[in-house]
Amino acid sequence: MTTLTVAVSEEVFQPMSSSVIETRDVAKIVPTAEGELVILEGIDLEINAGETVAIVGASGSGKTTLLGILAGLDVPTTGRVWLCGSELTALDEEERARVRGEQIGFVFQTFQLLGSLTALENVMLPAELRGEPGAEQAARILLEKVGLGERLDHYPRQLSGGEQQRVAIARAFASRPNVLFADEPTGNLDTRTGARIIDLLFELNDEFDTTLVLVTHDERLAGRCQRIVEISGGRLMSSAAA
Amino acid sequence: MKANFILRLAWRDWRGGELGLLIIALMVAVGTVTSISLFVDRLHQALLKESANFLAADRYIGSSEAIPDSFREAARARGLDVADTLSFPSMVFTLDDRNTLVSVKAVSTGYPLRGWLEIADEPFSRGTPTSELPAVGEVWLDARLFPALGVAVGDEVEVGLARLTITRVLTTEPDRGGSMYDLGPRLLMRIEDVPATQVVQPGSRLSYRLLLRGDEADLEALKASLKLEDDPNYWWRSIRESSPTIGSALDRAESFLLLGGLLGVLLAGVAVALSAHRYARRHYDHVGVLKTLGATPNQVLGAYLGLLATVGCVAVLLGLLVGTGVHLAIVALLKSIIPVALPLPSARPFLLGTLTGLICALAFALPPLLHLRSVSPMRVIRRDVGTPPPSQILSYGAAAVGSLGLLIWYSGSLMLTIWTLVGTLGALLLSGVLASLLLKGGRVVGMQAGSVLRLALAGLQRRRKENMAQILIFGLAIMLLLILVLLRTALLAEWRSEVPEHAPNHFVLNISPGDVEEMGAMIDAVSPEQGGLFPMIRGRVTAVNGIDAGTWEKSHRSELGDGPGLRSGRNLTWTAQMPADNTLVAGQWWQPGDERAMVSLEDDYARDLGLSIGDQLTFDIGGERLDVEVTNLRRLSWESMRPNFFIIFSPGALEQFPATYMTSFYLEPDQKQFLNDLLSRFPTVTVIEVDAIIAQIQSIIARVTQAVELVLGLVLASGCLVLVASIHASRDARMSEHALIRTLGGTRRLIAGSLAAEFAALGLFAGIVAVVGAELTVLFLQTRVFGLGASLHPWLWLVGPAAGALLILVVGILGTRQLVSAPPITVLRGLN
Ligand SMILES: Nc1ncnc2c1ncn2[C@@H]1O[C@H](COP(=O)(O)OP(=O)(O)O)[C@@H](O)[C@H]1O
Ligand SMILES: [Mg+2]
Repeated sequence: MTTLTVAVSEEVFQPMSSSVIETRDVAKIVPTAEGELVILEGIDLEINAGETVAIVGASGSGKTTLLGILAGLDVPTTGRVWLCGSELTALDEEERARVRGEQIGFVFQTFQLLGSLTALENVMLPAELRGEPGAEQAARILLEKVGLGERLDHYPRQLSGGEQQRVAIARAFASRPNVLFADEPTGNLDTRTGARIIDLLFELNDEFDTTLVLVTHDERLAGRCQRIVEISGGRLMSSAAA
Repeated sequence: MKANFILRLAWRDWRGGELGLLIIALMVAVGTVTSISLFVDRLHQALLKESANFLAADRYIGSSEAIPDSFREAARARGLDVADTLSFPSMVFTLDDRNTLVSVKAVSTGYPLRGWLEIADEPFSRGTPTSELPAVGEVWLDARLFPALGVAVGDEVEVGLARLTITRVLTTEPDRGGSMYDLGPRLLMRIEDVPATQVVQPGSRLSYRLLLRGDEADLEALKASLKLEDDPNYWWRSIRESSPTIGSALDRAESFLLLGGLLGVLLAGVAVALSAHRYARRHYDHVGVLKTLGATPNQVLGAYLGLLATVGCVAVLLGLLVGTGVHLAIVALLKSIIPVALPLPSARPFLLGTLTGLICALAFALPPLLHLRSVSPMRVIRRDVGTPPPSQILSYGAAAVGSLGLLIWYSGSLMLTIWTLVGTLGALLLSGVLASLLLKGGRVVGMQAGSVLRLALAGLQRRRKENMAQILIFGLAIMLLLILVLLRTALLAEWRSEVPEHAPNHFVLNISPGDVEEMGAMIDAVSPEQGGLFPMIRGRVTAVNGIDAGTWEKSHRSELGDGPGLRSGRNLTWTAQMPADNTLVAGQWWQPGDERAMVSLEDDYARDLGLSIGDQLTFDIGGERLDVEVTNLRRLSWESMRPNFFIIFSPGALEQFPATYMTSFYLEPDQKQFLNDLLSRFPTVTVIEVDAIIAQIQSIIARVTQAVELVLGLVLASGCLVLVASIHASRDARMSEHALIRTLGGTRRLIAGSLAAEFAALGLFAGIVAVVGAELTVLFLQTRVFGLGASLHPWLWLVGPAAGALLILVVGILGTRQLVSAPPITVLRGLN
């Protein structure tokens, strides 16, 4: 496992040679009623561009927390995190949001589509947020790709779980992210639908040449990744190539 | 973030029904204020115009001395119209030397500036309005005077040294009412003829008035420039001071309308806050997702501010339209009842409506939206993370400041606002305790109840905090409505009692003692409703405690007093029993058999002149001296059209002085011919007809009443909106809970039943809270703001909770109908 040199880490916006994600000695500690709870501890992790990584572990081991920190949704209590050349731990929420908008896509276990928006509008959202023109055209193409070309104007409540997740995947790729994070993307789906979603995810990942970091219980899904990172009790156990 | 993105966001939210309630609540706030203030504005102007008729002017300057020309010039320079009147009592003689005492009014051209004279060619026939005046050298007489003097139209009479021709019968003059001191039948002549009469001499009882007509602003400017407050010789009068009945009816009605509008705004504000909170809560996830997609906190803030601005503008525009529409509908509806032509509205109502919308948006809707900025993106993956509740201080603080500002600005009355808020807050505090007790009690009852009720009461207990809040909100809404209903009832009752039906509407003065009995019998035959019989003796105070009255007045007269002076001539009376509508405020009424010379004074009169119990007053009555001691103080009901006396003597004190008597009685309009019989039988008495004035007062009060009820209706609508908004706001929590119960096997009937029971219980509790709050607040308002008596309302204690339960039940069931009838799967999906 390589550690980053200090010199490089200070070059905040300079693209790094190969690693898109770096963490150093990350810990997450939250105060609870019974005192401090250590959720993550001593996490050193590096993920290279184009890599596909599965984070596995028992329920409650801290996977989601780690994913949130890697994606800049949350900040660690101590330690440093770099994402695509930006040190997330040195940015404020305003700047982190900008990095998220430019660099990452996210797929959630519970889909997280906006109920008041149609499928098409949900997929258009990232481009609209950035004020990019041609949002609608790009979104139509993506929805075609995920096989929902006929359901553009349907609302999430009119779609099945698998269909909703496909919309969510289209939305995640709509911002042409460098890194795609997925937190148990098949956790809410039956096996067959889940398998199709996985296929779709890897297909698009190849096509857009994205780095993929996913949390899963699903061994088949983990097995399709180049690397499996196991986490237990808030600590990294092993980081094996699949 | 781009403007068109915000517009699209707003459009999508609207389409999804998320913004609907917020927009409607804002719209109703704006619409209520606009329509109420439009109506009040126009009605107020109309009522003022109409009541100005009682003065025959918008304002007048009164004096017992001639009004200087400089006043006239100052008024004309401000573009005001002016006219002069001069009233004085005088003897009038016929050519064959019959005579009687009349009240002369000499007027200049232009009189009356408001209202009109009515005249007839024959005595006691119906008058027709005219814009003419008697020509120079002519007089118009009251119908009374024709039989009294034995004259006819065309004859000549002498006033002082002037010989004038009778050309018309005067039936109505607008400013006839009011003064009980302007006794005697009227003789109307031109002011140009006054010098020729040579009756105006120093010491005569003269009443000069300079009538004024024009814009409010010009009138007020004139008032300010003349600085008459410091000058005891001139008094500035508007309808409020010169006709207490109408003045106080207008004042109270205005307070009520203001209060109504004010409560309407508060209710709408609550509805806005509720729907904004719900909107914000529903958008936490929305914002979380936007943030994972890279929206920065400032972008989020910008987007929702933009959204609120868009929504605010749309709502204000719609609200103004709706307000105008409602107002026009009201005017159309009331057209037949409000014959007064309504003047065009000013810009103020529209401005008021717009500002209300903005303030509501800022104070009630903004705080929860501001909070969206700090929603953590982690929320998307961990629901329990990163959403501290909106700052309570910010929310409540902004709402408090907003409502306070709005209320003060709207009502223009700090007192009214503060009492309303104090009452509301106090009641809320108390209600909080009460609500939590009720919830606890509810669970205890629920333990023994059947499954539907148990589910409902358990539900109430489970979401205790939310339900407390909801009881308070329901309670507040119901309470505000009850307050208005109670005040309306109190006001109407008060107004009705001021001018009761069949109240005496004719006064007879100058009845000689020998005629009392016969006249009594004659009146008895036509009118069952008679006022008391009072002796009347003219006299004036010459000394207090041995000090000359003039000197006493200089050192003791209150600065604020605007009542009559100490030394002016007064009508004195004596009676064994205190008049029924007077109330004793200090001292003792005299005992039967007490022979001492004692006197009772009207409270304000005594205070103005620095007189108190125990003071010795010296009177000059017909040149003779009489010493009496003040033994008690009374308060009069000035608002009643009854004979009132500032000074009443104990029986015996005045017995040696020659008195005439006065009485009063009620006549139906078609019995007027009776006056003729009465006057031909007793030609020396004077009859004063106040029936026209009473009718006018009644019509004004009737109109004010309609306005009051109308505003009540509008506010009721706002109140219902709050109920709907509140039920809507709690829908999400209920929805997930009931979806769960249904997946666990709860039947639709169980859920419908438990929802109904839950709403009924909420409504019942809210009703109890509302009754307590309303009673307290109304007690406050009645005694402090409206100057009415205090009273509790036992019926309310039954009706309030029952009505609360029913109301919330109906609104609640309507609001959650879908929730019950939809299949569970859609309920689950709707949770997304
Ligand atoms: N904000 C928090 N406060 C308290 N406990 C937390 C918080 N966030 C996470 N946890 C706890 O930390 C542990 C790890 O959570 P999580 O990362 O969601 O696990 P996983 O995704 O692996 O199931 C769990 O026991 C969870 O309850
Ligand atoms: Mg997890």
